[in-house]
Amino acid sequence: MLQIIKTFKVAFQAIKKNRTRSLLTMLGIIIGVGAVIMTISAGEGATKQVQDQISGLGTNLVIIAVKQDHRAGMTVRKGKELSKKDYEILKENSVWLSKLSPMAIVGSQAISSEGYKSTVIYGVSEEYFDILSREVVLGEAFSELDVKLAKQVCLIGETIKQELFEGESPIGKTIRLDKVPFTVVGLLEEQGKGGMGSDQDNLVVAPYTTVQNRLYGSSNFTVFMGSAISEDKIGDAKIETTILLREAHKLLPNQEDDFEITTQVEITEITSKITNILTVLLGAIASISLIVGGIGIMNIMLVSVTERTREIGTRLAIGARESDILTQFLIEAVVLSAAGGILGIAFGIIGNQIIYKATDFYIPTAGYAIAIGFGFAAIIGIAFGYFPARKAAKLNPIDALRYE
Amino acid sequence: MAIKKVIETNKLSRIFKNGEIEVHALTDIDLVIEEGEFVAIMGSSGSGKSTLLHIIGCLDRPTSGEYELDGVLVNGLNKNQLADIRNQKIGFIFQSYNLLSRTTALENVELPLVYDRTGRFSNSKELAKKALEQVGLADRIYHKTNQLSGGQQQRVTIARALVNNPALILADEPTGNLDTKNSIEIADIFVRLNNEGKTIVMITHEKEIAQFAKRMIYLRDGKVLTDELIKDRSTKESALKEFELTS
Repeated sequence: MLQIIKTFKVAFQAIKKNRTRSLLTMLGIIIGVGAVIMTISAGEGATKQVQDQISGLGTNLVIIAVKQDHRAGMTVRKGKELSKKDYEILKENSVWLSKLSPMAIVGSQAISSEGYKSTVIYGVSEEYFDILSREVVLGEAFSELDVKLAKQVCLIGETIKQELFEGESPIGKTIRLDKVPFTVVGLLEEQGKGGMGSDQDNLVVAPYTTVQNRLYGSSNFTVFMGSAISEDKIGDAKIETTILLREAHKLLPNQEDDFEITTQVEITEITSKITNILTVLLGAIASISLIVGGIGIMNIMLVSVTERTREIGTRLAIGARESDILTQFLIEAVVLSAAGGILGIAFGIIGNQIIYKATDFYIPTAGYAIAIGFGFAAIIGIAFGYFPARKAAKLNPIDALRYE
Repeated sequence: MAIKKVIETNKLSRIFKNGEIEVHALTDIDLVIEEGEFVAIMGSSGSGKSTLLHIIGCLDRPTSGEYELDGVLVNGLNKNQLADIRNQKIGFIFQSYNLLSRTTALENVELPLVYDRTGRFSNSKELAKKALEQVGLADRIYHKTNQLSGGQQQRVTIARALVNNPALILADEPTGNLDTKNSIEIADIFVRLNNEGKTIVMITHEKEIAQFAKRMIYLRDGKVLTDELIKDRSTKESALKEFELTS
């Protein structure tokens, strides 16, 4: 035990005597550990951001869509379109869906006396706002009665407001969508940029009845948006909807579904799978730099052993055992990589802060990333320090003493 | 009372094998060195004096024959035991000092105590200081090795060899890297230490330095050629005088 303490002292002395070399040796580990912490944390940050976006999509979302097939890069509609009847059947019979809105989606120009803007018009029911958690910040949403009566009313997003009613309240104003006049009754809360940089505020929302009658030219829908009564009933809602729609579409047991149901849970699962893969991948790449750092340590330690051959010979001659030399060099390597690890942690945390300040991309420094980075550094210190240390310990004292 | 034998060898041989070729570095060396002796071992290069020193110093093992150091039969010892024997019983002095660079004289002298496993030394710093005083370097203990002259460095090495109070001081060409004046200084330190009772074995090829010893062993081709007591031993004064005459 006492011998170990003495050997520690010897190792620290050697590190202190070669400050520059020790720092350079650590550099690889510092960068490696820093990179591991930063990439893993970035992965975590991205995951969290995507999760937030998904949960911001709506409440217990169940999306029912026409079955689509992808052929040669083109999206081809395969199943039957969703009809008004489907909507009514689901609305009446569903136990687990608390809310449901059909969607008739049309691309169009929105025109006012002050400007115009290409936009997307969503023809929906009054339940749409609750399902997708879209808040109305000015005015109010249209009502069930408005939908029934196919009133020419609409709500607009922030982008439309900016383009068409700069600086004024849009409420009560009229806009034209494909020559059809709509009265603006509400302004939707700003959503910001979506994934891929799409503008989520460039939209007009109107009763589906009006959109179908005046703009769409079809009584069918491509999508229904539903909301399950609770998070743990999303699965039940999916099964129930499947059964009801199969019945409505008169599908035989051996026929495939001609519609597709995606739930929020599934979206979350898929994206978390993707982001997890991303995190692991980034971490793996960063680990390579750690291994390179370890090889750096081994390199310097090997050079150091050669350079200090005579010192080792002297130590052996005056009574050091092989194990003393082995532990001395091993401790040197481990101390270097552990110190590099600690500095690397600081580097990683500071790096995360810098990225946050520079890009607004918040990266929470993951605790387990620190543990992985530091643990890895220590293991590398032992693994890559062992070979040079053994080389030193196995030196023949007679040859080592004479080494020039 | 019988005088203690520090070194006793019995038919000591060392054969180096280099492929097919066998080199007989030492052949049947019978050597007894008693406590308090000061022996100079001489011989031309290839005479086997280094090999003998390595075996005496427990850095190498004989091919055959027996070697007893301070009452311990060295033959059967394993590597760790040899290391401990070196640590406890031998003080090494090397031609090129072999001091740790960028390290103070004190730390260098302490080094053997770092590897002491007997726990017999309680205050290594005090012991190291005392050893440095013995070689006249009391005012240089915190100097780093690169701040010391060759003669001073060799005196640090001697202090390092003294610090663990060994049974035997083993010097390998201690004056090989020094000028005559410093060589005489070092030889004089050996004489003083010997007078204090230290047993010293010194390898040298310098006759003038060997002349400081009490006994001279001359090796040739791995065998003892002559082994005799030195009659007119040099002293510091006589050697310096001679040095001044010749230069």
